[in-house]
Amino acid sequence: MSRPTGTQATTPTKIKKISPGELMVQWADGHETHHLAPVLRGMCPCASCKDEMTGMRMILPIHIPDDLEFRKIEIVGQYALQFEWSDGHHTGIYSFEYLRELCPCPECKLV
Amino acid sequence: MAFWNKDDKGVALGEEQVLNVLKKVQDPDLHKDIVSLGFIRNLKIDNGTVAFDLNLTTPACPVKDQMRDEAVALVKALPGVQNVEIKMTSEVRQTPQLDKSALKGVRNIVAVGSGKGGVGKSTMAVNIAASLGAAGARVGLLDGDIYGPTTPIMLGLDLPPKSVGNRMIPQEAAGLKFISMGLLVKSEQPLIWRGPMAHKALQQCLFDVDWGELDYLVVDLPPGTGDVHLTLAQAVPLTGAVIVSTPQDVGLRISMKTLRMFQQTRVPILGIIENMSYYICPHCNSQDHIFGHGGGRRAAEQLGIPFFGEVPLDLAIRTQSDIGSPIVLAQPNSPSGRTLREIAERVAAQISIRSYETPVLEVE
Ligand SMILES: Nc1ncnc2c1ncn2[C@@H]1O[C@H](COP(=O)(O)OP(=O)(O)OP(=O)(O)O)[C@@H](O)[C@H]1O
Ligand SMILES: [Mg+2]
Ligand SMILES: [Zn+2]
Ligand SMILES: [Zn+2]
Repeated sequence: MSRPTGTQATTPTKIKKISPGELMVQWADGHETHHLAPVLRGMCPCASCKDEMTGMRMILPIHIPDDLEFRKIEIVGQYALQFEWSDGHHTGIYSFEYLRELCPCPECKLV
Repeated sequence: MAFWNKDDKGVALGEEQVLNVLKKVQDPDLHKDIVSLGFIRNLKIDNGTVAFDLNLTTPACPVKDQMRDEAVALVKALPGVQNVEIKMTSEVRQTPQLDKSALKGVRNIVAVGSGKGGVGKSTMAVNIAASLGAAGARVGLLDGDIYGPTTPIMLGLDLPPKSVGNRMIPQEAAGLKFISMGLLVKSEQPLIWRGPMAHKALQQCLFDVDWGELDYLVVDLPPGTGDVHLTLAQAVPLTGAVIVSTPQDVGLRISMKTLRMFQQTRVPILGIIENMSYYICPHCNSQDHIFGHGGGRRAAEQLGIPFFGEVPLDLAIRTQSDIGSPIVLAQPNSPSGRTLREIAERVAAQISIRSYETPVLEVE
């Protein structure tokens, strides 16, 4: 078994902020993902959070407050989301693939 | 017939009957019947006369006449119908994600790109845009090439656009609204335009221009895969990209990088045009496949992408470009003019298909 791939699994049909710190994404294959702001913030793919050469994380969970919130959610073109967090950071572009890959549900974590 | 209709009041022709036969007409691109697609508007039945609008998804529909003739024939064959009055209208659909952006008056943004330079992107962009405009669509053209702006020449323009306050007013030529990043740059200080500058210039050309209501905004990209491409793919939800290649970039090897870039940013590839595909001799009009034949079509098939067609290497295409009068307008019925207009119609059809297929993304 492998992670769900293909465009259905990585095409969102609905994105909803269900609380200041929780984002829900519904996918075209029917799956539903719940992302928590502090966790997602820790996985920011931007160059200042993750060293491009070594892949080392420059921001660690201890740097991120537990009550971090989504301040702004924007769609980038047709392929990604960009968040502005309550800590002011906003440069990370999370591709739909990446957002699905990070799905924390047990079903996705198993495979 | 007349006698039948007048006297037999009991068999009144109903809307339902008309719609039922019209259901037999399929839109070959969207694979649905024209009634379910909601194309039939203003249906009126008055004695033996049936009148309705057939509202298509583009004025440049390649199968417009075919659908009209089918619809008329089917309705005419109904008992009691003497006269069918059909009006062809069109309403270009908007790419779902666009209506929420700053460009909400623009329904579709389409990029024209290639791997290699000099393959005829600008020539294709200008002629496609002008064809769509001539067919009755509202079209804008954004020349995204800051280094070698050739598009203004092809439209006979060489002055930068005027602005009111901090909004730019697009120039008008060949039935198009037009903005050139190159002319914009020329009008300012001679700067070295690097990545962030190109990024900013493109943003301005998209968001600080009064584009108004447009069915199609065609963006002519610089060669390769640079900042302009990425900025465009990030800044707006593109309906798709048209790839231009020549028979020499064997099996599109060089364009693969471009294709991959579009795929990564999920810009749908609408299809491939093979330009300078064969040679038309200006003296005897004979065709010569100097570079081999069918490469673009085969490559498109392998990649599962629509093939839009082959454009000949024809001196008339270039001459018309050089004098600022696109061949599709100046010589619409010449072999090359016709070929280019057909390609534009196929592009329009793919855009319609995409706007139906792109899922609507709800954001709350
Ligand atoms: N089918 C054709 N027949 C004859 N000449 C053509 C044809 N297509 C393009 N040309 C000519 O080839 C030259 C290059 O075309 P064009 O500027 O459209 O290419 P481009 O891909 O936009 O180039 P660049 O990469 O520099 O932006 C122009 O002089 C143009 O008139
Ligand atoms: Mg060009
Ligand atoms: Zn970051
Ligand atoms: Zn999951």
